[in-house]
Amino acid sequence: MGGRFKPLFRLGILMAMTFSVILSGCGGGKDNSADNAGSATGQTATDNGGSSSDGKVEPFNVSVFIGEAGQQPTPDNKIYKKIKEETGATFNFEFLAGDINQKLGVMIAGSDYPDLMTGNTKLTAAGAYIPLEDLIEKYAPNLKKHYEAYWNMMKDPNDGHIYILPNYGVFNGKLNSSWYAGPAFWVQKDVLAEAGYPKVRTLDEYFDLIAKYKAKHPTIDGSPTIGFEILNYDWRNWGLFNPPQHLIGHPNDGGVVVNNGAAEIFADKDYAKQYYQKLNQMNEQGLIDKETFVQNYDQYLAKLSSGTVLGMFDQHWNFQNAENSLITQKKFNRTYVGLPIVYDESTKDYYRDRAPLNLNNGFGISVNAKDPVKIIKLLDTLITEDWQKTFTWGIEGEDYIVNDQGRFMRTQEQRDKQSDGTWKLANKADALFGNLPKIEGSFSDGNSTDAAAQPEEYKAGLNDYDKKFLEAYGFNSYVDFFSEPPENPIYYPAWSIDLVEGSEAKVANTKLNDLSTKYLPKAILANPSDFDSVWNEYTSQIHKVDVKAYEDKINEQIKWRIDNWSK
Amino acid sequence: MAVTVTKKKAVRKPEKKRTLTWAVLKSQQQLIWMSVPLTLYIILFAYVPVWGWTMAFQNYKPARSFSQQDWVGFKQFKFLFTDDDFIRVLRNTIGMSFINLVLGFVTAIVLALLLNEIRKVVWKRTVQTISYLPHFLSWVIVTGIVATSLASDGIINDILMKLHLIKEPILWLSEGKYFWGIVGASHVWKEVGWNTIIYLAAMASIDPALYEAAEMDGASRYRKMLHVTLPGIKSTIVILLIMSIGHILDAGFEVQYLLGNGLVVDWAETIDIFVLKYGIAQGNYSLATAGGIFKTVVSVALLLVANWTAKRLGEERLL
Repeated sequence: MGGRFKPLFRLGILMAMTFSVILSGCGGGKDNSADNAGSATGQTATDNGGSSSDGKVEPFNVSVFIGEAGQQPTPDNKIYKKIKEETGATFNFEFLAGDINQKLGVMIAGSDYPDLMTGNTKLTAAGAYIPLEDLIEKYAPNLKKHYEAYWNMMKDPNDGHIYILPNYGVFNGKLNSSWYAGPAFWVQKDVLAEAGYPKVRTLDEYFDLIAKYKAKHPTIDGSPTIGFEILNYDWRNWGLFNPPQHLIGHPNDGGVVVNNGAAEIFADKDYAKQYYQKLNQMNEQGLIDKETFVQNYDQYLAKLSSGTVLGMFDQHWNFQNAENSLITQKKFNRTYVGLPIVYDESTKDYYRDRAPLNLNNGFGISVNAKDPVKIIKLLDTLITEDWQKTFTWGIEGEDYIVNDQGRFMRTQEQRDKQSDGTWKLANKADALFGNLPKIEGSFSDGNSTDAAAQPEEYKAGLNDYDKKFLEAYGFNSYVDFFSEPPENPIYYPAWSIDLVEGSEAKVANTKLNDLSTKYLPKAILANPSDFDSVWNEYTSQIHKVDVKAYEDKINEQIKWRIDNWSK
Repeated sequence: MAVTVTKKKAVRKPEKKRTLTWAVLKSQQQLIWMSVPLTLYIILFAYVPVWGWTMAFQNYKPARSFSQQDWVGFKQFKFLFTDDDFIRVLRNTIGMSFINLVLGFVTAIVLALLLNEIRKVVWKRTVQTISYLPHFLSWVIVTGIVATSLASDGIINDILMKLHLIKEPILWLSEGKYFWGIVGASHVWKEVGWNTIIYLAAMASIDPALYEAAEMDGASRYRKMLHVTLPGIKSTIVILLIMSIGHILDAGFEVQYLLGNGLVVDWAETIDIFVLKYGIAQGNYSLATAGGIFKTVVSVALLLVANWTAKRLGEERLL
């Protein structure tokens, strides 16, 4: 008996070990993350117990997925602390690391959703959000009031439910704006200053200015001057694709131009050809950076930050980091002015628009949220003016001051802190607030919701170079370079139309983008005599794509929006 | 341990023919028990997922149950094979794979032969360590290094200019004709040291008596390399070759994705990128699955062909 027992015993031990190795290998990742979450919440829970004095608020946790890269706020962040004290809510953020589609694929495959998730059409299609309209009607009077005028627009075109609370585009009171975030032809301030502050309207004038400046200053701070940059990297493709629609006086509708409610692609049109031919000529003159189509986004920002790039077509927010770097280096004359360039003087520019409702962005509550009522009530509290002031301006006395006229202002010291990333992690709740429903425009006391847009605050914060620059033009801010935007068409903007995953329209759109990515650089870099043949090849390839499926889908949605969004 | 156990049993119960009887099973029960976890592992992670291939014949939508999916037959395969770009991405995949395969084998074997000839252990270890360190870098970093070195003011252009081989810097990454070469060279730089390890191990197992005998016959260093070392590692080479041929459709994804741009897209897009762009990025998981099936089928076919050829040539084989 003993003889038989021994080998069996050994075998048992061996198998147990094998299994435990396999199991621990499988389960390791999950255990860790659970531990982390556990320790984080444990820590915050004790914090909360210590600080809530009245004991009325009941602490609860909200897990949040933010669909973009970001940094965790510090554990003692003062705004989150205030939220915790007054509402009981503690946020556990998960920021995107890596590729969004990959991350979403994993989340969807496992139905592994946190309580709050930023909007994404893939998640909507997978049924990851709960409908919010009844919850809002019942529990969230403030949100209801906030979104009242936009109610129909927020409904999902496919099933008529509201899943996402748009984070931008709801305006109250007078809209002050001193910072233009959108697309434009940008030019270094020094180029304009040296030319005697001219008004630049047309594409030809724009490139003439750049050419002259480059001829006069072949190097800037020792590095060769770059005339014009075109960024086309991954999804940041508008630097190459979008200018033609603006040049004929249309707003940004993505890949189409809409005339009287009818959309058509413009990539193959003559006014597009005119632009790329111009770029081709400019390339021949050596104005366009040779490496422009090979560079990635980081290299692009690095070039802009060096102050050697005279101009580019881009959206302001896309290169804001580079500009901030220039400001830190005190190279104010190397920062940029956006110009609403058109083909000919008679065209009215339509770059600046009234910000449309930011559909499919902002938070939605997931199907896995245990207590959606609590969350919607929390969001309802946070949309009130006091909280909104806390998010934008900060805490009175610490982050801003109120002057005798009741206007909010900042001291220079407070202003400087606002551009300090480390300080912000401890004192601002940007990760949350960026995606929350928010009041834009002005508060009921007349103060601007955005410190940078408060006129006196903007002026006070300007450096001497910009003060002089704006005086020369007689403008209050750089936004004045653009025409006042007209009322948006109801369907605007066409770029926010969801083409529906996997549909023929979406495939056609991907193909069109592929073709443009492939042929436009070729056409621009071609010998001027070859330009036409490359262009013809490009357009003939476009005509092979099922453009109609793409245009039809957009037109269908434009019609749908006109039918459903009209008040 | 497994070996000693079987030996013991074999002695106790001599068998003429290996027939599977209850007695055999019983006598080898320890071995069988030991193989259970791994078999389970393979069934769970290699065979059960094959069920997912059904997705390729559906218009798969996440969060729907199996019975609610639309069945579309071969629609996804049709899209894949009739797309104009497919031939192009297939050509790129095979082209780059082939270059990687040839360059990878030749450089690794040559480096291993050279290292094997070095008699000073310290020097040998140093070279080996330096050459395999890049293996541990991720492709994101390697492509960053490659892009920087190939930039107009990068080190490659600098050197070529200093040597007066070129007059103007070449924009390496904007010319399709250089792309395959760049990918091949980056692979060599990253993997050559790592790939030598297995050959060096194979060389270490060659009987020193063979070298001594060759020396007695007056063989020079080159002769010994050619007639002792190379034949000694031939079986290793063949096995590795068969295994690599099975992966010929895995030309890689990161390198091409990260180094590619609009100007070289005709030469840079591989099957994996195509599937990502039109499958996963579009939420069309069915198309992605169809692409995966295609790759698997081709790989298995190639593997079998290579294996059969090796058998015919009287070489070591895998199956």
